[in-house]
Amino acid sequence: MEPRGEVFVLGLVLSIVVLVISVLISVWARRLTRNLGDYYVAGRSIGAINNGLAMVSLALSLTTFIGLTALIIEGVYIAVAVYASFTAAFIGLMILAAPYLRRHKSFTTMAFISERYDSKTLRYISVVVMMVVSVLYLAGNLKGIGIVFYFLLGVPEVVGIVVGGLVVTLYVTLGGMYGVTYNQTFQTIVLLFCLMLPVAMILRALGTAGWFFPPLGYGDLVPEMIEFVPHYFWAMLEHPITYIAIFLGSFFGIIGLPHFVMRFFTVRDAKEARWSTVLCVFLVGLVNTTVYATGFAAVYFMQTTAGVELTPAAYDYMVFILVEALAGEGWLALAVAGSVAAGLSTVSGLLMIMGAGLIHDLYGELKPEVDDEKKLKLSYLAMFLVGVFVILFSLNPPEFILKAIMWAFGIAAAGLGVPIVLGIWWKRTNKYGVGVGMVVGSLIGFAGWIMIDYMGMNPVDIPFPFFNTYLYGPMGWIKVTVLAVCFSFILTVVVSWLTPPPPENLQRQVDVMHGWPDYDEKRYNGKGLPIAVIVISVFLLWFMTTLYDVFPK
Amino acid sequence: MKDYKLEIWATLICFILVAFIGGFFSSFVVILNEVFFYQVPTPEGLVDFYGETMFVIKEHLTVMGFPLHYFLLVMFSWIGVTIIGAIWCFIMDGIEERQRA
Repeated sequence: MEPRGEVFVLGLVLSIVVLVISVLISVWARRLTRNLGDYYVAGRSIGAINNGLAMVSLALSLTTFIGLTALIIEGVYIAVAVYASFTAAFIGLMILAAPYLRRHKSFTTMAFISERYDSKTLRYISVVVMMVVSVLYLAGNLKGIGIVFYFLLGVPEVVGIVVGGLVVTLYVTLGGMYGVTYNQTFQTIVLLFCLMLPVAMILRALGTAGWFFPPLGYGDLVPEMIEFVPHYFWAMLEHPITYIAIFLGSFFGIIGLPHFVMRFFTVRDAKEARWSTVLCVFLVGLVNTTVYATGFAAVYFMQTTAGVELTPAAYDYMVFILVEALAGEGWLALAVAGSVAAGLSTVSGLLMIMGAGLIHDLYGELKPEVDDEKKLKLSYLAMFLVGVFVILFSLNPPEFILKAIMWAFGIAAAGLGVPIVLGIWWKRTNKYGVGVGMVVGSLIGFAGWIMIDYMGMNPVDIPFPFFNTYLYGPMGWIKVTVLAVCFSFILTVVVSWLTPPPPENLQRQVDVMHGWPDYDEKRYNGKGLPIAVIVISVFLLWFMTTLYDVFPK
Repeated sequence: MKDYKLEIWATLICFILVAFIGGFFSSFVVILNEVFFYQVPTPEGLVDFYGETMFVIKEHLTVMGFPLHYFLLVMFSWIGVTIIGAIWCFIMDGIEERQRA
């Protein structure tokens, strides 16, 4: 795919406007930052609407805008299933974790794990897991910004990665969590308008009846889509465990991804945490379904328009190609600005959590005598250095953005999601169980990523005893998530059961997280949950080994 | 203890519903439906059952032009989970008020 061939002035101007406003918001927000609590969790003063909007921009990264559209064009029905699960996962996050984490009053996921289990070692381990998943998540998004710049200006992607990375590093460093929050809210509003309106124009140009509501406005294109790509709505003939892996990765991964969880530490109270998630899931679903429409419209356009021949590599630009061809340059400029906003918001949230993890959870623990004022100054420095490091890492990003992010979800689910969920819902969970479970679970996920994605090994050839035989199929690699999450659950529960229970002051935290003014030993301490967790995990591991002869290899 | 049980049951039921319609729905409707109810467990069987297109829907099962399973997946994983989430929030708001009292 070639760039447009000339500088797209209007798109460039709107993108620069988005970038400048982002920096200005951070400069303004800096006045609100007076201490460490303001810098990391915005003084826990954010309301439900503001937080909900900020979470939307975290969820809707450039992967959604660019990567999902490309996957749909390729006819990968499972991509829709992935995003359906990802949308629903926000409610899973709310039901299992969000309000309870808010009541715990930690600054970060890592601090929660450390304080809930009274273990500095677990804090260090969780910082390492957090860094791995954040870098995986970030690299794909910065690559997306590079793609936008390449299309706009014809400059190499690396320029976009460096410029976009520096701008976001600047405003995160300057504004802290206040700046990040208000920027994300601004970027969500930009993104909603800049995606929905151009897609509506595309659908109108294609002659669909319900063009004004993109999530469903393309229904009357379905017969043509089926004619062009018969397998469009046909789920890939995969073992159902593939879908269960997607469920485990998205539902527990989102709980384990610290930049999502950190948003709940910033709100005023548990009620605001709950309702902000409901708002978020509604808007995320709205945008995701609009992106499905974009993918379908792209196929229809390619099949019905003479002279349109694109290589799969060009599918990443399809949003822009469609908007330019069917809606015009004004709308294209909006779509470009929306893409820049989408990329910046996700990157800013990740940078924030990485900086907080390094200073608050690592340096702060190693040097507890350092006062908050010095930590605040070091936070500015750490945030800047992390930004530069990520830019350098992103110069050689993963080939497939969405795949890297799905690995990040899997590792986060096993390494951080499981200890958080069990820490909230089962008092008996102790540091020994969590230590074994999170180390083994995250190592399974990380080893899978290294061997399959990084080294390019065939999933069935990697040395996972017994289970590797069952990692077959086009999406076989994703089954590693089932291994990681199930082993994490099983080991956490079994080892916790075989070792001494945590002291009462730690068990008391569970009652406090659930809002009870008093302590009752019987609450959240039954045998039902751990037994159910073990039974379901063992069942899933067994289920993975069944129906071997039924599905294609 | 009454509110504790309400919290546990409301959370359990809502989580199962959200997990099913958001996580497993396409699997159940598209694959398991075929494998278990129509006994067409192999790709070759699907070709015989649905013709050469291997297109696993039935023509009359459409909503607003969309295949039924696709429509339900998209709607349930979006509107469905939003409603379930809101119901859970109302229940938890009530429990929280009583805890404060």
